[in-house]
Amino acid sequence: MSGATGFWYASRATGILALVLLTAVLVLGILVNRQGRLPGLPRFAVTSLHRNISLLAVAFIAVHVLTAVLDTFVSIPVLSSVIPFASGYERFWLGLGAISFDLMLAMIITSLVRGRLNRILWRAIHLLAYLCWPVAFAHSIGSSKDLQHGWLLDLSIACALAVAAAVAWRLASAARQLPRAARVAAVFAQHAPHGTRQRISR
Amino acid sequence: MTMTRLDDTTTEAAGNQAAGLPRLLPLVPGLPEDLRAHLARHGRPPYGHKGQLINAVQQAGLTGRGGAAFPVHRKLAIVAAASGRTVIVANGAESEPASHKDALLLRAAPNLVLDGLQLAAEAIGASDAHLFLHPDVSPEITRALAQRQAAGLDRLVVTITEAPPRFLAGQESALVNRLAGGPAVPTFTPPRVTERGLGGAPTLVQNVETLAHLALIARYGPRWFRALGTKNEPGSMLATVHTEHGAQVIEAELGIPLRNLLPATQDSQAVLIGGFHGAWLPASAVHGLTLDNAALNNHGAAVGAGVIAALPADRCGLTESARVVHYLATESAGQCGPCLNGLPRMAAALGVLAGSGHHSQVRKDLERWAGLVTGRGACNHPDGTVRFVRSALTVFGPEISLHARGHCSATNRKPFLPLPNALPTSEEDWI
Repeated sequence: MSGATGFWYASRATGILALVLLTAVLVLGILVNRQGRLPGLPRFAVTSLHRNISLLAVAFIAVHVLTAVLDTFVSIPVLSSVIPFASGYERFWLGLGAISFDLMLAMIITSLVRGRLNRILWRAIHLLAYLCWPVAFAHSIGSSKDLQHGWLLDLSIACALAVAAAVAWRLASAARQLPRAARVAAVFAQHAPHGTRQRISR
Repeated sequence: MTMTRLDDTTTEAAGNQAAGLPRLLPLVPGLPEDLRAHLARHGRPPYGHKGQLINAVQQAGLTGRGGAAFPVHRKLAIVAAASGRTVIVANGAESEPASHKDALLLRAAPNLVLDGLQLAAEAIGASDAHLFLHPDVSPEITRALAQRQAAGLDRLVVTITEAPPRFLAGQESALVNRLAGGPAVPTFTPPRVTERGLGGAPTLVQNVETLAHLALIARYGPRWFRALGTKNEPGSMLATVHTEHGAQVIEAELGIPLRNLLPATQDSQAVLIGGFHGAWLPASAVHGLTLDNAALNNHGAAVGAGVIAALPADRCGLTESARVVHYLATESAGQCGPCLNGLPRMAAALGVLAGSGHHSQVRKDLERWAGLVTGRGACNHPDGTVRFVRSALTVFGPEISLHARGHCSATNRKPFLPLPNALPTSEEDWI
């Protein structure tokens, strides 16, 4: 196996892993947003997982991009990793990859300086995740013959289904959310023993 | 006792041993000082000592009178050092139902507060000045502002924003959210409002009483200020004292014996110190204590915003506590899980203890939940509520046992601590 082929394999492998990790990041992000939990984990651990896996995903994507550029089998200019549609090879599909990479960088940089940012601005930029994941997914399927058949196709479909399920759960959960003024009353209704509220009400 | 209305609240300078009182309150008790009286007593605000004021406040050792007792000069210095536009807010949204001192001060000596607002604004170089208060005092303040405008006393125009009647409305981040047009609910810190407040500008939020003290320090200096109080907690403070005869706002020297503030004639069983985020102390403990954090902290209490409520011997402290915790639970902003889920459960459990019958599991649950919600909110509402609950469980332990056997020591069922009737029913109630 020549060095050049080694880069090519490394690029494909890290790309596939990045897709799985990004899917996990999005699902965990939705869980954090809705204050959901994972079995056996406290809530802050879900937030930590979301943050750490997102950084891990970016590390894999960095290797994915670097190996693709270093590989001499096809010529991909280094700038095309951040400038969309600047690559001669697979111009459209690699352009999508650059767009998703840029969106990820925007989300990560704003999150690292979150304390200094306006919350609304941070949130608006973080919502780009819902654009970023589909674009990255299209990049994966479109630019990789590997993912278009066999068990890697199954894996891609599983990722898409996981994201669809998480988004659906998020929308349903938001629709179920009580208005602020009704929240405490709902907890009281669940927990006040019969007659207690009568006794201590004013 | 019925809930004390402000109009009935009398004022008096406590501690006849302390020369130099009243400092904030009018010389003639109960007679508000208009601009003429204010100028005759204190003169015009001494502008033009921008750099020196923060120093003077530091030397005076003035701490925030809104409840947290944070050193005022530190907040001033942080915002003064910030670059760009800065904002100052006088916080008169006294949200504690048992505290009447800010409303009384705004009525009795509005010009002292407004002097302090302008002087602090000058010291930090603020470009906007705001006053956050309850609607019932805003007509008087609007009138005072107009008079000052005519007299050329104010350098910055003051914008008045009315606070919703919510317990957390006066919390710094909730206040900034309301001033920005949103609901008065807290947000997570950091960033603190001194770093990123209204519209992103570093914002200094000071309680109105704090600003009134600052206006006096600017005139009479730190030495004068330190002539009252203790070495570490100098000056005077306004306290709202509740007894069986009703509520009084008293200007007291820090460090005076607490018994000086309470009627010798009343047979009290326990005293609530610091308000609904404060702690109950048994009457026996209160007798040797003084009005300062150095003394009170040893007993798990703090001066807070100066609420001191002596529970008459004929009332049930357990029932009073259950009412208060029920109120505090309904005032949760419903944002943080531990607060939203924990406080109503604790309120319900305390309600069970205040009923009759044996409930040892309920008491265990209460203590477990108290541990679970502490330190986990965006603001200190859960922590403050837990402090109150824990002190009630300790101080009214014998009463809990009595209730468990189906008895209650109270002979008077009238509610003692004042609680508002208006509970939030829609999002509008936070606006």
